Amino acid sequence: MLRQPLTRALALSSPTRVAPVVPAARRFAEQVSVQPEKVEVFIDDKPVYVLPGTTVLQAAAQVGVEIPRFCYHERLAVAGNCRMCLVEVEKSPKPVAACAMPVMKGMRVKTNSDLTRKAREGVMEFLLVNHPLDCPICDQGGECDLQDQSMAFGSDRSRFTDIHFSGKRAVEDKDVGPLIKTIMTRCIHCTRCIRFASEVAGVDDFGTTGRGTDMQVGTYVEKMFLSELSGNIIDLCPVGALTSKPYSFAARPWETRRIDSVDVLDPLGSNIVVATRTNEVLRILPRTNEEINEEWLSDKSRFACDGLKRQRLVTPMLKDSRGNLTPVEWEDAIVAAARALRDCPPDKILAVAGDLADAEALIALKDFVNRLGSENTYTEQYFPTGGSGTDLRSSYLLNTKIANVEDADFVLLIGTNVRFEAPLLNARIRKAFIHNETDVALIGPKVDLTYEYTYVGDSASLVKDLAAGTSSNEVLKRLESAKRPVVILGADQLKTEEGAALLAYTQELALRLQDNLQDKEWKVLNVLQRTASQVAALDIGYKQGVGEALAAGPRVVYLLGADGGVVTREALPKDTVVIYQGHHGDAGASIADVVLPGAAYTEKRATYVNAEGRAQQTLPAVTPPGLARDDWKIIRALSEVSGAGLPYDNLDEIRERLSQVSPALVAYGDVQANNYFAQARALAKSLQKPVSGKLDVQLKQLEDYFMTDAISRASPTMAKCVQAVLKQKTSPY
Amino acid sequence: MLQAISRVTTFSKNGLSRSLPILSLSNGRYASSDPTCKKEAPIIENDAVLALPEERRMQNALESTIVVPVKVDLSPITGVPEEHVKTRRVRIYQPPKNAMQSGTNNIHHWEMEFDNRQRWENPLMGWTSSGDPLSNLKIQFSSPDEAIEHCEKNGWIWYIDVPKTEKDLRPKSYGLNFSWNRRTRVSTK
Repeated sequence: MLRQPLTRALALSSPTRVAPVVPAARRFAEQVSVQPEKVEVFIDDKPVYVLPGTTVLQAAAQVGVEIPRFCYHERLAVAGNCRMCLVEVEKSPKPVAACAMPVMKGMRVKTNSDLTRKAREGVMEFLLVNHPLDCPICDQGGECDLQDQSMAFGSDRSRFTDIHFSGKRAVEDKDVGPLIKTIMTRCIHCTRCIRFASEVAGVDDFGTTGRGTDMQVGTYVEKMFLSELSGNIIDLCPVGALTSKPYSFAARPWETRRIDSVDVLDPLGSNIVVATRTNEVLRILPRTNEEINEEWLSDKSRFACDGLKRQRLVTPMLKDSRGNLTPVEWEDAIVAAARALRDCPPDKILAVAGDLADAEALIALKDFVNRLGSENTYTEQYFPTGGSGTDLRSSYLLNTKIANVEDADFVLLIGTNVRFEAPLLNARIRKAFIHNETDVALIGPKVDLTYEYTYVGDSASLVKDLAAGTSSNEVLKRLESAKRPVVILGADQLKTEEGAALLAYTQELALRLQDNLQDKEWKVLNVLQRTASQVAALDIGYKQGVGEALAAGPRVVYLLGADGGVVTREALPKDTVVIYQGHHGDAGASIADVVLPGAAYTEKRATYVNAEGRAQQTLPAVTPPGLARDDWKIIRALSEVSGAGLPYDNLDEIRERLSQVSPALVAYGDVQANNYFAQARALAKSLQKPVSGKLDVQLKQLEDYFMTDAISRASPTMAKCVQAVLKQKTSPY
Repeated sequence: MLQAISRVTTFSKNGLSRSLPILSLSNGRYASSDPTCKKEAPIIENDAVLALPEERRMQNALESTIVVPVKVDLSPITGVPEEHVKTRRVRIYQPPKNAMQSGTNNIHHWEMEFDNRQRWENPLMGWTSSGDPLSNLKIQFSSPDEAIEHCEKNGWIWYIDVPKTEKDLRPKSYGLNFSWNRRTRVSTK
């Protein structure tokens, strides 16, 4: 295990994490170079051709032979310390660890021979000697790799007798925060959590201490594992040493019903599996999708699900004569809302869509408001109106695509803290940083992105200089020499006064770089939205930023889950009727006169478009609580009563309507390549005004990350996370 | 997703070729053609004219093929209530790997499931009740084509849901942990 290359001794004095600056062309040169010749190996006498350097385990996976493993994980570095993957190789005196052994030409591997099985049985016996027999009270029970593999490969009897009655080895539990429960006695030292923390999460807190039977996995000092991706080590742990604290002792895996769905708490639309029982969401797990989230999930998406049970709006409500919201029947609420809308002059109606609104509800609301004669449909998030505005899709999407960011050789982040705005995109950038020697530069406030980056500054004029090509900064040279550069602009910048100019300069910079690329398919320009609803809303034709419409003094305001605090009572005239439709009693409901309870993302079949422009649909896992209903159905009913009936009655018809607006909205799972960059750039030319401000982002620290929307604000687990981070800050470590 | 779609299209192509009317041999030759276009009298085979009626029937039975309709809609005769045929939506998918486990044994097939309907906690025992007879119907198939065929046979509206799960193979190396000039070098062990 501790085979050390000679070079290590030479490298002792060199810093480990700061890699030397390599020529940007390196990765690209590798890609165009011819693939080395494949070597033939035999797995259980089946021939397979693999690239030289492939491990035996990978070669076996190619022919569908699965070798048991504990420490090996395909997205982490090879550790080779559990020894479960021992296999017999012909002409080798000892069994070899398949996960670390590179293939050699003509190698004959036997994955099911007597020697292999005996080796596995021996390894399993050693593991079980030091593993407690507490499966009946272990949360991992039923989905435990150790259980499964001891059934398949273990011995049928035990030789373990505690002749001195000294008890089994026991290890003290660690406190690593409010999300992860540790029962360290169960740990089999696979070191997956350590590797995840140091490679993917970039928080190098975990490690081992001691040797042999005294070895322990821990954080060295009493410290919490504070990362936005920490929940993934629960999935990675092959035994029950790391389990979910909010889910502890809640259910067994075979009791739950699993529904595949899509997350909406960040703009990436990670694929998830919602585990439910008795109409209650118990936990959320990631679902593999190589194009979006690989197999990770951010903590907010994973643990904010207990917010779905709290602060819910379960019944329609109307404000009574004393100004209190009182529960009423649907009929009364709908009639009250319809009367307010009907009596209002069309130009005084204002509809505002919030962070979690789905495309069906968005189109229904827009069609409804349009039928009433108003064009005032707005999103809470701002986007500059000048130039091409939102007419060209390329100017508000992640055009590079999440998965392609891995192939980039230089990433420039402008005014965005990707780590907290889109944690899994940051994980991709980090992956590229580590494995492809990608370099990163940042313009904006200094934040911890978990990897090294070149800090350019936080002044907006830097973007202008880069766009004009007059900057003397080294970053400009790196960008221009890069074969596959990526420029990501954070949506936080767009809401400032200089937002339009910043977007124009970013377009100018990105397009200038793109024109000079050899790879004509490569897209440079990216705008990272902050919320799951924004792209769909802009696709459908919502106007951006509600400020001007508020100043015009609307008489009826229809809030579709608008909880961002953009619309306040103070900003509205006294007699304005506020209709709130949504699922949580948050900022929007507190100022409402009529409350119409809607469904959360786990309760409806709804379309969401992620930051790349990829439409995906959530599936209903549970039923909406109380009297709550699907959002588009509420609007449909309201339109009927208001006398402006919408022409769709079921999901198919409303999706037909969506496809009329944009076919991309119903092309589930697909993402279109965007075009018209040059036109957007030309239109943006007039917006290139001098900028002088400083770039700032909303989410700077980990404590800002956890509670950003109505669901996570209602979640007690997220509140505990914030407290834990604040507590950790006072700790000396 | 694209893969699945292309698979589906290949399937529909096959289906199309199968649904082409199979040319029947009997009596088409005289009935369909316009007699004014004929240059000479049609050739009549002696064997066919001289055969006894039972011989002719035998000959016909041997020569003709049985035409099986390609698209069968069983929904009118299955006895399934119309509500569960017309309003249900079938999702065809590959079961996702459980994120908590590394094994992949039970996920190499395709499944279909119906849209999820309301469930409630039964006050008697606290178990979950449902009014949906199809709520636990998950059928496994070896390919999406079979699943689609099954759905079409039963008259259900289906759609395929396939996230991209295969990743490019990148050879892994134990040595990268100790590489002196790469960022893959590990700091802790």
